[in-house]
Amino acid sequence: MSQLNRLQRNAIVLSLAGELRAAESWCGETHLQKAVYLLQELTEVPLGFDFILYKHGPFSFDLRDALIAMRADYQLRHLIHPIPYGPSLVATDTGKKLQERFSSVIGKYRKQVTFVAKQLGSKSVTELERIGTALYVQRENEPMTVDQNARRVNELKPHVSLDLAKAAAEQVDEMVAAHGSSD
Amino acid sequence: MVKNTHEIRDAIHTFIQFDSHERKIIDSRPFQRLRHINQLALTNLVYPGATHKRFEHSLGVMHLADRIFGVVTLPEHVGPEVREVLPELSREDDLRYWRKVLRAAALCHDLGHLPFSHAGEKEGLLPKGWTHENLTVEFIRSQEMREIWEALTPPLRPDDIAKLAVGAKEGAKIIDSEFTDWQAILADIIVGDAFGADRMDYLLRDSHHIGVAYGKFDHYRLIDTLRILRPPPTKSGGQSHEPTLGIEEGGLHSIEALLLARYAMFSQVYFHRVRRIYDIHLRDFLKEWLCNGQFSTAIEDLFKLTDVEVTQALRQASLENGKLGALADRIIRRQHFKAIYERNPDDIKVNPDAALAIYTAASEEFGAENVRKDQDRKGGGDSDFPVLSRDGSIISSLTLSQILENIPEAAIDYVFVEPRYRDNATKWLEKNRRDIIESAKEEVSESTE
Repeated sequence: MSQLNRLQRNAIVLSLAGELRAAESWCGETHLQKAVYLLQELTEVPLGFDFILYKHGPFSFDLRDALIAMRADYQLRHLIHPIPYGPSLVATDTGKKLQERFSSVIGKYRKQVTFVAKQLGSKSVTELERIGTALYVQRENEPMTVDQNARRVNELKPHVSLDLAKAAAEQVDEMVAAHGSSD
Repeated sequence: MVKNTHEIRDAIHTFIQFDSHERKIIDSRPFQRLRHINQLALTNLVYPGATHKRFEHSLGVMHLADRIFGVVTLPEHVGPEVREVLPELSREDDLRYWRKVLRAAALCHDLGHLPFSHAGEKEGLLPKGWTHENLTVEFIRSQEMREIWEALTPPLRPDDIAKLAVGAKEGAKIIDSEFTDWQAILADIIVGDAFGADRMDYLLRDSHHIGVAYGKFDHYRLIDTLRILRPPPTKSGGQSHEPTLGIEEGGLHSIEALLLARYAMFSQVYFHRVRRIYDIHLRDFLKEWLCNGQFSTAIEDLFKLTDVEVTQALRQASLENGKLGALADRIIRRQHFKAIYERNPDDIKVNPDAALAIYTAASEEFGAENVRKDQDRKGGGDSDFPVLSRDGSIISSLTLSQILENIPEAAIDYVFVEPRYRDNATKWLEKNRRDIIESAKEEVSESTE
């Protein structure tokens, strides 16, 4: 499958941010990073971002650069909240116009975007870190049992207890199954 | 008695101190090569003072990185939650080892730069998948440098140095090992987006040599207030345990000044239209002049090629007729292309690829060989970071500072034409600009850029 071009990709990311917020996600950068990872790796939307395992789980510097460029091009902005909370990312009017312009590509991947937003919308950043890391570990080491996955997550992120890592690995399995049954 | 500590006088930091082992790094061939790589490529053709080299910048980065390390690892500056996630902070041997690694990595972070730094590494001038960071890692792993790492007590692991020198963005692709939380923090001390020593030094040093005041900021205060902190909470619940570099509330004005300095330096210097077109002309020349149109990635070949040799080739080519001479003349005789279009917010809001549309139309009108484009985006540099408030709570920087919230991203889109077409192209653009920009339609099919 060929990759989406820059503007198509921006439109999909903006659409995902909108759906995450509609699903009551905080939609800060950490939320968006994990959601894009799931969208690309689990539902196979060809966004073409390189992800590494980094602080807070899977992280893409390419995506960070893309978000910066989207802010520079007036498509995305920070929504500031009262002290002490971090910002959310929301589409601007220009970003909404871009989504209208690329409505067919958004339509093509709407099912995947909605699935990811539904799965992750209610998760906190710590849950997202664990789920993202468990999915990353699974994809790097398939096939892998839940216990094996949990042990590896615990090795990579010692502050994540084995119990929490196991719960995250189980959630990943459930998401994979849910995505498979939604095809 | 043989001295074990040495110092070099520096234009920015007055004196930079190092020990005898570090002197071996500085005296090594890879490091001495940096004496001949300009920090700012051909910027001196616009700002004549910009002739400083990667050599002194690398010394400055070591100096600043060491000061940051000293501040953020002070026991009274580390909270119990951070200490729990980063046990290295409680182990004296680890701290000693990693401080040496950090200083070595800071010295080595630019070893892989090609002639004229970033200008020489784009558009296929290196084999696919190669960047200057790959070359930096090659130098750090080279036999000559390995002998230096192994002579230390304890010996330094080359890949530890390489990780901190190139950071996670590139390092994760080059070095086959994950970054631990501790390594990620240390890499951020050198090459981090918000508080990295690399950024602090280049802003201070570049502004000093160029002769502009707006690159300066109070780095003493900034460094003294840096801390390793947990990220701020989000309202939806949860606060990440994984620490990152942040700042005490008292240092907020210093970081505002740094990020404003960066914005000003990008807007006024690094993104200057004439500086940018010289980079493009240099790449056009290199593609023609280099064997097979590419730089070699062999370490021994890199020793033979610095700004000195390329400048000599440009000057020699300029004395001769033919294509190479014409390409050299654009730089040597200042016959550079002229900007006919630069980005503006109104156009971007109508068509995010306005400059590309104008470039494509201009290429059709005047011939592709007579038109060049340039595009770049540089963020304010992660202006969202944790702040340790006076009451001990962790707060998002963006909720405390309207300045940080509103610093724009630095961005450019330029279209240039061959000088003899400038007048015609300007008139043509005046007439057709709106139609070209508004002609954008949805691209229905998927395509690779």
